[in-house]
This record gives sequence, C-alpha cells and structure tokens, in this order.
Amino acid sequence: MRSESPGRVLGFVRRISRLMFWISCGAILTIVFLTTVDVVSRRLGNPIDFTYELVLYLGAITIGFAIPQATIDRAHVVMDFLTVQLPPGLQRAFNITTRFLAIAMFGIIGWHTIKMGSYLHTTGQASAILNIPDYPVAYGIGFCCFIECVVLFFDVLEGSRGQEQ
Amino acid sequence: MSVEVIGILIIILLFVLFVMGLEISLAMALAGFIGYGVIVNFEAAFSIVAMDFYTVFSSYGFLVIPLFILMGQIGTGGGISKALYDSGYRFLGHIPGGLAMGTVAAATAFKAICGSATATAATFATIAVPEMDRYGYRKVLSCGTVATVGTLGCILPPSVSLIIYAVLADVSVGKLFLAGIVPGLLLAVSFVVTLYAWCKIDPTVGPRGEKSTWKERFRSLTSVAWVLGVFILVVGGLTMGFFSPTEAGSIGTFAVLALVVIKRDITWKRFMESVMGSVRLGCMVLMLLAGATVLGHFFAVTKMPFIIADWLTGLHVHRSVVIILILIVFLIGGSFIEDMAFTILSIPIFVPIIIKLGYDPIWFGVVFAVTAMMGIILPPMAMTVFVVSGITKVPIGTVYKGIYPFLLCMSVCLLILVFFPEVSLWLPRILMK
Repeated sequence: MRSESPGRVLGFVRRISRLMFWISCGAILTIVFLTTVDVVSRRLGNPIDFTYELVLYLGAITIGFAIPQATIDRAHVVMDFLTVQLPPGLQRAFNITTRFLAIAMFGIIGWHTIKMGSYLHTTGQASAILNIPDYPVAYGIGFCCFIECVVLFFDVLEGSRGQEQ
Repeated sequence: MSVEVIGILIIILLFVLFVMGLEISLAMALAGFIGYGVIVNFEAAFSIVAMDFYTVFSSYGFLVIPLFILMGQIGTGGGISKALYDSGYRFLGHIPGGLAMGTVAAATAFKAICGSATATAATFATIAVPEMDRYGYRKVLSCGTVATVGTLGCILPPSVSLIIYAVLADVSVGKLFLAGIVPGLLLAVSFVVTLYAWCKIDPTVGPRGEKSTWKERFRSLTSVAWVLGVFILVVGGLTMGFFSPTEAGSIGTFAVLALVVIKRDITWKRFMESVMGSVRLGCMVLMLLAGATVLGHFFAVTKMPFIIADWLTGLHVHRSVVIILILIVFLIGGSFIEDMAFTILSIPIFVPIIIKLGYDPIWFGVVFAVTAMMGIILPPMAMTVFVVSGITKVPIGTVYKGIYPFLLCMSVCLLILVFFPEVSLWLPRILMK
C-alpha cells in the first residue's frame, strides 16, 4: 500500500500536467487564429476590439500551464557539462540539492503570486473591454507553481528510487 | 558590506548554482531574489519575484517568442526544408562541393520561416548528410557544413535571438530584422566561398553531384517562392507597420500552416508535435526571461551595469577595444552557457555600456548575433555540433574539424561588421526612416 500511494499520486500529477499542457497548446493556437482574424478584419475596417486583452490571458495560460510538463520533458536549460563528470554520489547530492532549491523557489513564486491574486481580487482590477477580472491569471500562475513543486518533489523521489534499484 | 561586494558575491553564487545543475532560469531568479533581499529587504524581494513572473507570463510583447518558434516548428514539421534542399541541390549539385553549397542556400531560405539553430541543423542533418554521403562527400565537410548552417538562424530574420535582443534592449524588432538581412546574406555567401575554396584545395572532400535540367531546376523553385512569400508578408508587414511583432508571429504561423495544409505536407501527428514543441520551447525561453527580470532588478539596485559602463568608458582605450573585449566575453560565455540563456543574462548588462560608448544598439544586436552564431559551434557547449553528431552518428571530433574553416570565415565577417557598421545599418536606414 505504502509504495503504491506515491505512484498513484505521481500518476495523478502527470495526468494533471499533461492536461494543463494540452490547454497551453489550445491557448497558443487560439492566439494565432484570433490575432490573424483581428489583423485581417482591421484591414477591412472592422477590428475585434477585445483581441489584445484576450491574448494577454491566453498568453499567461500558454506559458504558465506548460511549466510542469516542460519540467517532466526536461525542457528547461541546465548547465550540466560539469556535473556529468562528477562521481555518481556527488551528482545525486547536487541533484537533490538543486531539486529542493527549485521547489523552494517555485513555492515562493506560487505563494506570493496567489497573494497578489487576492490583492487583485480585493481591488477588483479587470480588463477594459470584456471586463474580465485579472486575479484568475495570478491564481492560475500560482496554481501552476504548486503543481510544479509536486512534480519536482516526485522527481527527487524517482531519482532516489532509481539510484536504489 | 558594500553594494558592490554584494553584487560580486551574488554573481559568484549565480555561477555556483549554474555549475550545480540548477535550471538557469531558477538560478537567475534565486540569485536575484537573495541579492535583492539582502540589499533592499526580503518583504520587497518576495513581491518582486512574484510580480516579475506574473508580468513576464502575461506580457503581450514576450508572446512574440513562442509564436515565431511555432512558425518554425510547423515549417519544420511540414517538410518545407526538404523542398528547399531539393531546389538548392538542383542548381548547385553539379559543381565540386555543390551539394554542401546547396545546403547553405536551402538553410538560408529555410531561415525565412525557422528561427532555431538546432532545429535547422537537425533538419539538414537528416536531409542533406545522407545525400552528400551518396556522392562520396567526406563527413568532415558534410557534417561541418550542416552544423554551421544551423547558426544562420541567429541572424537572418525572423530570428528568435534577434527578437529576444530587441525585447531586452528595447529596440525595434522590425529595424533589427532588416539590419540582420545583409550580414546574414554576407555570411551565407562567405560559407559558399569557404566551401568552394576547401573543395579547390582538396577535391576529394566534395566531389561533383548529378547535373539537373533547367526544367527540373525551375520546377523546384515553387517551394522557394512560397517561403519567399511568407518572408515578405511577415518582415514586410512588420517593417511597414501593418502589424506588431506579436501579430507578425501569428500571421506568419497562420501563413506557414496554410501553406503546409494546402500542400498536404503535414500530418495531424506532426502538427501536434510542432505545437507541443513550440509551447515547450516558448515556456523554456519565457522562464529564462522571468529569471533574468528578477536578476535585472537586483542589478538595477546595485547599479552594477552603470558602474561597469563608467569603468569601461573611463579606460583610456579606443571604444573598439571595449567592443572587442565584450565580444570575447560573449564568445567565452556563449561557448559555456546555452546561447539563449547567455543572451538573456548578458544583454541587460552590456546594452547600457554600448549606448554609453555611443554605439547604435541595432548594430550591436547584429554583431552580438554573429558572436552568438560562433558561440553555438564553439566547444564545449556546441549545441548544433551535438545535434548533428547525434543524428548522423559521426564522432563529435570529426564535426568539430569540419566547422573550423567556417569559424575562420565567421571571424572575418564579424570583424567586417564591427569596423563597418553601415553593412548592417544601411538597409534599416533606407527602409525605416
């Protein structure tokens, strides 16, 4: 039972990350089509006036929601040409240290972005034309950072388990 | 402890975090956060980190990056590069080294839609190297050529490196794109000249290929015309002020997508792989930008870029010497740290210096892009060399041997650009008054 639980949580986190990634892909394609239609209709004298603010929201979704899957896919840039020369024990120690530093960093970003979101909620800041509130974007980025923390935590666990095997 | 000492300690911490293997984006954010916290206070540092990530992720201007990446990915997925290579091969294949020259020509055209050096290198390693093998080209020439032509992606518009530079240096993307055209073509021509000279000296490295008929040659030009059309639409529309850079990215992506769909060159699977690849890359670049923004706020409170600028301008040397020193730092840094990451890290430090020295930041953008091209193929972090070696299974040492002649010609072009700024500046001056 004990060994199954982390596996189940890991599977769940992976599914969530994948789902968020698909939403990112959908968001960027929506940006492409919406902006193209806007540019063409602008040339015809009939612009879509809410394009800018919608693109801002979709942009935040595109990038924020892709962070956990990008980590799972090892897409982030790492300068590893020195660490790969080290003995395995030292490599593992560095890996665990950097994973915990990353968890701490994303924890800080997530927590304070959510705090910022609650401030935006209180002040009622919203977009000019569609009147869409700003706070969900901040909450969304904060949520992504927490998912990223879980992904990184399981990265450490998987790394240790792989080492044991 | 003085602000300067804190600044130096934070830079040391940054490099320790890099070497430990922490993601470069997070290393910049963490170092910037700690430095800002020590100098100002941690309450403010917490807010600045959250605010910087929120601002970068929800920035309209930064969205241009994933959009241009998407355009290139769809172009790659749709196999446009293969059609371009076919055209280059038809025209140049029959002369000694002609298949490699055709690769340079095709990569130059492919660059009109794809801004990534590694994607270009990977694409041509798959297409051009087997073809050159068929005609008995030596691996040192075929792999060296393919690894080098990928770097044209740094300078020829719509280059992602130039877009990032424009965003960070706060200069016009359209002007920078125009400024990159002539130097990019100069480099492409110099690659062809290098290949010609190499094959003249040692004819065994690049024998002649088959001669095509003029009918075959003209038929192969269809794909070139399509790509040229997309290029004119994107760069022309941007420089004429029809749309913003972010809109240009969307329009270009839509045009390339329409092109590959009409020609039935892309499958649903390849299309989705292209979208996923661009989101992944876009996320990576924007994470780097967010980390650099936090670090940039720390540098701003230490006033370090201005202290360095004052120190450099106070030296009793000609300003060209300072430029050469900066370029050496770029070359060394770019060969150790991934090019995109190093760009994002260094531009906010060096651009104030350039402006203080009285140079045009547009010109510096081009010079910086050529240096970045060289950084990409210089060991130990020669990304395109790794990609080509991985795809072709040719030892890295052989690929490195193949890039040295090109490195020499790139150095000559760089010196031309440094000492004759008009080479890059005349086109934007004429077209964007």
